[in-house]
Amino acid sequence: MAVDHDVLGDLMRGSLDHCVKCTICETFCPVSNVTPLFPGPKYVGPQAERFRVWDETSPDQSLDYCSGCGVCTQVCPQGVHIAEINTQARAKLRERTGFKLRDRLLARPDLIGRLSTPVAPVVNVTLRHGGARAIADTALGLDRRAALPAYPGRTFQRWARKHTSPPAARRVAYFHGCGANWSEPDTAERTVQLLEWLGCQVDVPKGQLCCGLPAQSNGMFDLARKYTRRMARTLAPSAREGVDIVGTSTSCTLMLKREAREILGLDADADLRAVSDGIYDICEYLLMLHDRGELRTDFRPLPITVTYHAPCQQQGHGIGKPALDLMALVPELRVIENDATCCGVAGTYGLKQEKYEIAMKVGRGLFDQIADAAPELAVCDSETCRWHIEKATGVRTVHPIEILHRAAGLAS
Amino acid sequence: MASLETDVLVIGGGATGAGVAWDCALRGFDTILVDRADLAEGTSGRFHGLLHSGGRYVVKDPVAADECVAENAILRRVIPDCIEDTGGLFVVTPDDDPAYGDAFLEGCRRANLPTEEIGVGEALKLEPRLNPGIKRAFTVPDGSIDAWKTVWALARGASARGARILTYHKVVDLKVEGDAVVGARVRNELTGEELDVGARFTLNASGAWAAQIVKMAGIEGVGVIPGKGIMIAMNHRLVNTVVNRCTMPADGDILVPIRTVSVIGTTDIRAADPDEIPVTQDEVDAMLDDGERLVPGFRDARALRVWAGVRPLFQDEKASGQAAADTRDVSRTHAVVDHVERDGVGRFLTMSGGKLTTLRLMAQDLVDAMCRQLGEDRPCTTTTARPPDNDDGQLYSLGARLRRREATLQEEQLICECELIGRTRLEETMRRRGTTNLDDVRRSLRLGMGPCQGGFCIYRATGILHGVGRLDGPEASASLRGFLQERWKGMWPILYGDQLRQARLDDWIFQGLLDVEHVPG
Amino acid sequence: MSHHDVIVVGTGLAGLTAAARLAEGGARVLVLAKGVGATHLSPCTIDVLGYAPDRVSDPGAALAGLGEDHPYAAVGRDGVAAAIGWFTDAMRDRYPYTGGLDRNLLLPTAVGALKPTAVVPETMAAGDGSDPVLVVGFTALKDFHAPLLADNLSRAGIAARAVELGLVPEGRVDVNSLGFARAFDDPAFRAEVAAQLVARLGADERVAFPAVLGIADAPAAWGTLRERLARPVFEVPTLPPSVPGMRVFAVLRERLRRAGVRVILNAVVGGAERAGGRVSAVRARVGLREVTYGCDWVVLASGGFASGGLELDSRWKARERALGLPVTGVPTDERFRADYFAEQPMARAGVAVDRDLRPEGHENVLVAGATLAGAQPWREKSGDGISLATGHRAAELILGAAVPSEPARAA
Repeated sequence: MAVDHDVLGDLMRGSLDHCVKCTICETFCPVSNVTPLFPGPKYVGPQAERFRVWDETSPDQSLDYCSGCGVCTQVCPQGVHIAEINTQARAKLRERTGFKLRDRLLARPDLIGRLSTPVAPVVNVTLRHGGARAIADTALGLDRRAALPAYPGRTFQRWARKHTSPPAARRVAYFHGCGANWSEPDTAERTVQLLEWLGCQVDVPKGQLCCGLPAQSNGMFDLARKYTRRMARTLAPSAREGVDIVGTSTSCTLMLKREAREILGLDADADLRAVSDGIYDICEYLLMLHDRGELRTDFRPLPITVTYHAPCQQQGHGIGKPALDLMALVPELRVIENDATCCGVAGTYGLKQEKYEIAMKVGRGLFDQIADAAPELAVCDSETCRWHIEKATGVRTVHPIEILHRAAGLAS
Repeated sequence: MASLETDVLVIGGGATGAGVAWDCALRGFDTILVDRADLAEGTSGRFHGLLHSGGRYVVKDPVAADECVAENAILRRVIPDCIEDTGGLFVVTPDDDPAYGDAFLEGCRRANLPTEEIGVGEALKLEPRLNPGIKRAFTVPDGSIDAWKTVWALARGASARGARILTYHKVVDLKVEGDAVVGARVRNELTGEELDVGARFTLNASGAWAAQIVKMAGIEGVGVIPGKGIMIAMNHRLVNTVVNRCTMPADGDILVPIRTVSVIGTTDIRAADPDEIPVTQDEVDAMLDDGERLVPGFRDARALRVWAGVRPLFQDEKASGQAAADTRDVSRTHAVVDHVERDGVGRFLTMSGGKLTTLRLMAQDLVDAMCRQLGEDRPCTTTTARPPDNDDGQLYSLGARLRRREATLQEEQLICECELIGRTRLEETMRRRGTTNLDDVRRSLRLGMGPCQGGFCIYRATGILHGVGRLDGPEASASLRGFLQERWKGMWPILYGDQLRQARLDDWIFQGLLDVEHVPG
Repeated sequence: MSHHDVIVVGTGLAGLTAAARLAEGGARVLVLAKGVGATHLSPCTIDVLGYAPDRVSDPGAALAGLGEDHPYAAVGRDGVAAAIGWFTDAMRDRYPYTGGLDRNLLLPTAVGALKPTAVVPETMAAGDGSDPVLVVGFTALKDFHAPLLADNLSRAGIAARAVELGLVPEGRVDVNSLGFARAFDDPAFRAEVAAQLVARLGADERVAFPAVLGIADAPAAWGTLRERLARPVFEVPTLPPSVPGMRVFAVLRERLRRAGVRVILNAVVGGAERAGGRVSAVRARVGLREVTYGCDWVVLASGGFASGGLELDSRWKARERALGLPVTGVPTDERFRADYFAEQPMARAGVAVDRDLRPEGHENVLVAGATLAGAQPWREKSGDGISLATGHRAAELILGAAVPSEPARAA
């Protein structure tokens, strides 16, 4: 089955022409710097791509060790779309060699969420049970030590259905992400509360499901396209009405903003175009308001120390680190900016048995920095990163909006 | 002066010469092959890589077409490792007459060349980069063939059967006794030493240089016209199928995916001297426009290297009694020049004309003619015999090096990253070839033929060559400088866009960082 | 739309220097760059002027001999000295430099030539001089060939011999410079290296290593080896990735972070909003979006043809990518000539500027680094000197002319 070869898709591959072999990407790659199993982004991207014929199986399994963090694309001084080339190459590889059951499950978070939520207490206990995890490790390849999501047994969507947002001059649509829906409804609820405090009327478009990012990362492009198109249809009406869309799952927001168009070749989808043009990471959005002088800044003092790690996919937005600028508005808050490229989990990568140890090595530097800082909280914009960091360090890890939520005096 | 004796002296180490040496060796002749430079340094190493289906000749040159149809099939059987089954397309571009497609189909039918007209949509699905404005498309069994691999496989096969392959041995003069050629005086270009080679028969397979050799036997005016053509290698495969313009042969009408690059070619300009074939800016500009016609956005893609090759076009009035206006009108089929008949000189035959796809047939015809003159009945077996490394019958696949590298990922250092050449292979080749010249290694392995054109690997290779004990410091630096100079020749006419960026980075490495220019000695 | 006092385009040495100096002076700075700059490819020895066209021994004096069109002309000897002073100051705590404008050092290159350079990290300084050298290589490091270096150095009249150690970080077969640098951060690895060498050293020998002596704390790694070997030790820069360059990047990047400079990568600047001779905002393509950033000043340090800051298309038209400034020095007929080592006709192409580093018709745009016309950095051996000097000068000019809109974030 042929992978879509539209203009943008081909531009990703064609961008390999810009590679001058300078090796800068390899100096930044968090994975190749800790393991020889991954030959590095330059190798599996622009270099190996010249040896791949699109309708043949690529012979290089080592490509599978790419975590998809995207740091290579960010640092490439020549504009090679390295991570995108790698993700596309991996999909082609997997199409030919087949998908593991584990990966098929990881690509379907809504399915797992829907099954787990009614029996959440049982699920949560099971997921922490050594024996059960050992079985999952051996049978499926889900590492027994990895941080899996928990299921509170209530969903954000249910809360949103019962909640009415007070009318206000500014309307925003909230893209909550399936991770928040099933596993972190608190984060999403607080986001709505904060936005309302900031003077926004918050729509939560109904029926939001997975955006397709886990499917894309695991190489299931057909499934990913289905999910992305569906999500685009759900959010497009807001975009067309001129209502800005904000997301708290920074990686999923990036998926709809850019990655689905570039990697899945969905650039021609009108709904996706409309959403892509009007979607913002929440910190990006709030900082925009602040730059315009439209952000309420009467935050209460918060005399604690927090660390902040900008996840790779937040950096992929190309917006700098707006969370830092926003947290700087909170009096007495001490923020220690972490200096780490990647925490290691990279979505579903670090959950896998063959990659868990690599992921832990990748994150080691960050975990040590957090331990040294001994903060009250660790702050990070992506949910899978939060779960991974919290498990590795024991420090409670939250989204930046939680800090603002507290400083706004909204925490009960 | 040292001397050697042999049955057959083959002059020329391109595809023709190597094919002849292989054929002779298989027939039990003791053979010596000489070439003034490295094997395939002449025309063969500078061609675009097209293994003809014959489609280009079905309308204009049916004899050549028939030859290609037959030889294409034979070569796939005997040297599969040198050939990739890319398939081919003939496309009618917006600038071409769709009616030509009918003549094309008719020609293919007559030549028994399997072809099929496919819808434009289907062609675009097969090759997404193709000009969406094409009007008709036809499939053909084109392939791409690696000339160096071919020449080296044949030479090594001949060598395994006792042939002596002497590279860097230039023919200084032919030895004529009475009315026959009895061998040649040859100079080792690396040592300056001269060598006397005595042979029962001498076969002139020097292609575009044939006339120069023939002159040494006192024969004037053999009609070999050097036809210059330029080609540009593009950084990656813009297409994975050979794309031909469906029209009367014109400039820049083929785009060949060969190994990791796609090559566009070519032009056809009569050259006075086969060694004087400069690339001009106008030719490059025209070639880029030709590329745009086949693949829109061609000018934005990255050009790696441009070079000129020279075809041996045979047009001998004495032999055929005709003249042609345009070198393109000259038949592309080959001919054995019988010097007994034509010039009264015996034990000497020249092969002229031809193309790489018919190399085996050319060798067969030449060696058969020799056998007839010698009165010896030794049948040809090259339709079935396979030279070394081609035994498993598997056609070449682009991923071969990637697969090989994947298996040795943890065990071997990667020296040329662009072309995936490991250290072990590099050292082996350096030792086996006994060479001090990095360009020889480049021809054997494709070292420095990727995007960075040696920017990163050449310093490494120089260090390794020095380490393997082949060179001292000043020689190593000289070899490095020589490589840079040679590489620059092929770069500067196409130095724009991404390749200019690469060149500037490489300048920084060689001049700013290493300061190669100021190495002592 | 956001607003900053200064937008710096580019994260090479010129861009990082300008941004750091500006932030220090109280300006609110935004850095936009396509990716990480050329510091990772360059050893960041500050080559001020090596050949003009003959070898230069006193770079400070030789500056005066360069033409009016050379980038140094806009800076002057004093300006270059000030830039060097600023830089050595900035590096002092984490990665000290030594040298000055009066005398070029002659440092061996990885292939054994002697290259003139003015200001170098202390870890490299002992390369200057003619005492015998033991060159240490590693079989796992393909980017450095000690025997070749030693062979060529000997022919320059410096007694040199080579030794290759089989020590390999993590048992790998193919380790690049960064891998080795991380190994050298480990005291146990350093001790092992020293132990293997100590018995093989000659009395007066200096010891040369590839430039991989540590990345997190290079002075400590180098210092330890010096102590244990009881000999002068120096690093020799080799093929990219350049560990010394990464050290410089780390120091300058940290300075930017502490000063609250916002850095956005993967931003391709491709246009500006103008009113008369002033640029009021810069447009960049970030991902698939076009974003506009307001500013009072722009420092264009996007590099030359190597980085894509300047482009030549297939019809031989040259363009400056970010602001569309005119490019001079690209001949219409012969752009290159056949001899690779000769001066190429196109070598000095770039954006021409006035004494204040401003291109014609622009009041608030300054150009620094390899984007500038008039120099041939790789032949003159002047690249990092030009980047540093013009980046620093651009910042000083802006700070002299403007009052910052609000104080920079406290360090």
